[in-house]
Amino acid sequence: MNWKNVLVLIKADVKSYRIIRGARFRRFRENKLVTFAMYIGAFLLGAAIGWFAGSFYDRTIDPQVTGLLLQGTINLFVSLPTLVLLYGVVFTQIGQIQRIGVKTSIQPLYWFPITWEERTLASVIANTLGFPSAITIFIGSAIIIASVLMRLVPLALLTVFALLASLFMASATTELSRILQVKLSGAVTKAAGSAAIWVRFTGTILFLLIFYVVYFTVYQQANPLALFEAVAGGQRSVWFIPFVWPGVALSYFAFGVWLETAAFSLASIAFTYVLFLVAVRLNSRFGLYEPPAIRVSRGAYVPRAGLMGRLGFSSMEAGIMRKDFKAFTRRQELIYIFIFPVMFAIMPILSLVRTGAEAPTLQVAHLVLFAYLAMLPGTIMAMILGSMMIGLEGGSVWYIYSSPIAARSLVKAKYSFSVLFSLAVAFVCSVIGGVIWIPSVRMTVLCVVEAVFLIFSLSMVSISLGIKGADFRELPRPRMIRPKWSLINGAVCILLALLIVSPLIPLAVKLFFESMGAPIVISLPLADAYLYAALPISGVIASAVLYMFYRIASKNAEEFLAKAEA
Amino acid sequence: MILSLEPAVELVRVAKQYADVIAVDYIDLDVKRGEIFGLLGPNGSGKTTVLKTILGLVKPDSGSVKVLGINVQDDPVGVKRRVGYVPESPRIYEFLTGLEFLDLTGDIYGMSPSEKKRRIDEYLEALELGGREGDMISSYSQGMKQKVAVISALMHRPELLLLDEPLNALDPRSARIVKDLLRELSLKGVTAIMSTHILEIAQAMCDRIGIMYEGRLLALGTMEELRDRARMPGSDLEDIFLELTGTGDVRPVIEALLK
Repeated sequence: MNWKNVLVLIKADVKSYRIIRGARFRRFRENKLVTFAMYIGAFLLGAAIGWFAGSFYDRTIDPQVTGLLLQGTINLFVSLPTLVLLYGVVFTQIGQIQRIGVKTSIQPLYWFPITWEERTLASVIANTLGFPSAITIFIGSAIIIASVLMRLVPLALLTVFALLASLFMASATTELSRILQVKLSGAVTKAAGSAAIWVRFTGTILFLLIFYVVYFTVYQQANPLALFEAVAGGQRSVWFIPFVWPGVALSYFAFGVWLETAAFSLASIAFTYVLFLVAVRLNSRFGLYEPPAIRVSRGAYVPRAGLMGRLGFSSMEAGIMRKDFKAFTRRQELIYIFIFPVMFAIMPILSLVRTGAEAPTLQVAHLVLFAYLAMLPGTIMAMILGSMMIGLEGGSVWYIYSSPIAARSLVKAKYSFSVLFSLAVAFVCSVIGGVIWIPSVRMTVLCVVEAVFLIFSLSMVSISLGIKGADFRELPRPRMIRPKWSLINGAVCILLALLIVSPLIPLAVKLFFESMGAPIVISLPLADAYLYAALPISGVIASAVLYMFYRIASKNAEEFLAKAEA
Repeated sequence: MILSLEPAVELVRVAKQYADVIAVDYIDLDVKRGEIFGLLGPNGSGKTTVLKTILGLVKPDSGSVKVLGINVQDDPVGVKRRVGYVPESPRIYEFLTGLEFLDLTGDIYGMSPSEKKRRIDEYLEALELGGREGDMISSYSQGMKQKVAVISALMHRPELLLLDEPLNALDPRSARIVKDLLRELSLKGVTAIMSTHILEIAQAMCDRIGIMYEGRLLALGTMEELRDRARMPGSDLEDIFLELTGTGDVRPVIEALLK
């Protein structure tokens, strides 16, 4: 192993963040002084907290309290390696996801005279730099200073070694999973043949679905203290999982069981080394892996007018819409859009199941949940889709610039796609809500019509702002829209949505209180006819917003096409 | 037929500057209809900016650009409808198949389904993309992507072709087909403006050549006119190019590298 090569590769890896971050962040990240200041700051902060905790223990006179504090501290030390492993995995995985594109851009490293051991070690270490290392330094300094005052120095020193081992384990595991993921997805693609696109599509949706269900279930029930206790007490019962071996070794050390301490310490070192070796082996085997081609069709080419053509769109507009539909079903980062309505459906259902509400509260909850499901997913989809419809062109935007596409045609194609897609989401969500919560006909009509108003108007708002804030950078991930414009879009859409639904607010309040049942009945002097007036008023406001923003979107599109060079 | 005497492209005192860098320095240029015009120049000399200005993708700081009798700034869509463009290293929608991308091009240029099918089939066969047309472009090699971009520029029968390094990464057979096709199209009145680094191609194909250097048009004319201008009778384009751009004396560089 040439350590000089490892250092050079780590430096290159750190600099790869240039592609992710802006110039300001680059100056910050690549400034050695700032980097060391961050680590020294973490050390000093940790030391201060450690000193404070140690002093508190030192000044406590009551032997019962002292005993409790000591036991708590030992539990904390013992649980720390496993907790460091957990956050290490989270941080390094996030780092990997952020740099998917960057990894491909630093491929020249592969044909330099370097070994896979050097490449893998550099990647594993580079992944731990930054926040994971700073947090570990913070924890390490805190426990060492505290341990001096609490007379736990040997345990603290062993804990620090265990923390470093855990961090390395976490990063090596991330490296392993990255290579396996690439290999596995490639193998699935190859096996699936022409169905690869749909396998990838449903696979991504299923993965996200399972992830979110687990996340919401755990998140809504998790108690941090319970987690801490469970880690401290439970890791010895799961001693057969190698990732907890550093923590198990510490816990045996704390109890003075030397043989087990030695065994688990050696096993931890061996496991860390094995992880590294496996990562090296996998890297050398699949590191330069090229995913197989996805074949979409085999048959002869038959041009079709398609549904859009029959709906009155010009061939150009229909072509752009078809292209965008394919983008949303084939580009992995766009498939994620499909998960939003699923999340919106899952969250209220899960919370309702857990609260176990009873009538009349349940009746009100049903009413609110139906309105939520019928109106929100479609509207939010319109906002998100509209804002990214232009930015999703990415590096291929030259094709739009150089093609004879008029600004109005571009707006029409992008807007229609956003509206159709959002309407489909609103329709599916309304059906699900209707089946689960069985609202009245009046309520159903009210919510669905209002959702249609919101989708038609806010799609245009988001398209117009999305053109203005389009971001075509694709590395390390497609940006679609600049953050500033995304925020502006969100704020403008919320304000306009409130304006559009405002005529219905008195009616909603009336319905709400009526549904609350006898104890809270508040009679509002609203005639039934109000509904027949409020809904059209809302529609008029939505139409005005639509018209106004259509003008803005057309103007923005003209500027966008004229200023291609920017 | 007065219109046919009008130049296909007319640049008058066109200038473009990016911050401190002068990309195009007050260029005047007329390209006749049916002419194959070559733009040569070292990297960063302004060739791509000129091509983009002609298509209306770059708005000049000063001067005017007329394409096929239309002022580009007045009717950019009208100009684009009659032009085929191949950018340097084209990025095309990687999530589409080659066939889907060409189908999209046909739709955008308003081609009828039968015409679209006929042209796509002809070009796919000619450039040997048959068999891979149903694969996603993400799996194509650079040369295959270039072929798709070239087909996309040619398939709608444009009157003017703007080609930025069109033969980049093409295999010899495909390059030959594109070259011969450009010649045939030129006989039918189609104008082509191409930038290239391959001087042999420019010498063999182009009716006239413009040599650009630091945003200026250093020399313009047929091979004979360029030889006269450089006072190098019987020389080939490489020698003339190096002489005119003042980059000809490469011996000291080679000697320094060999030390």
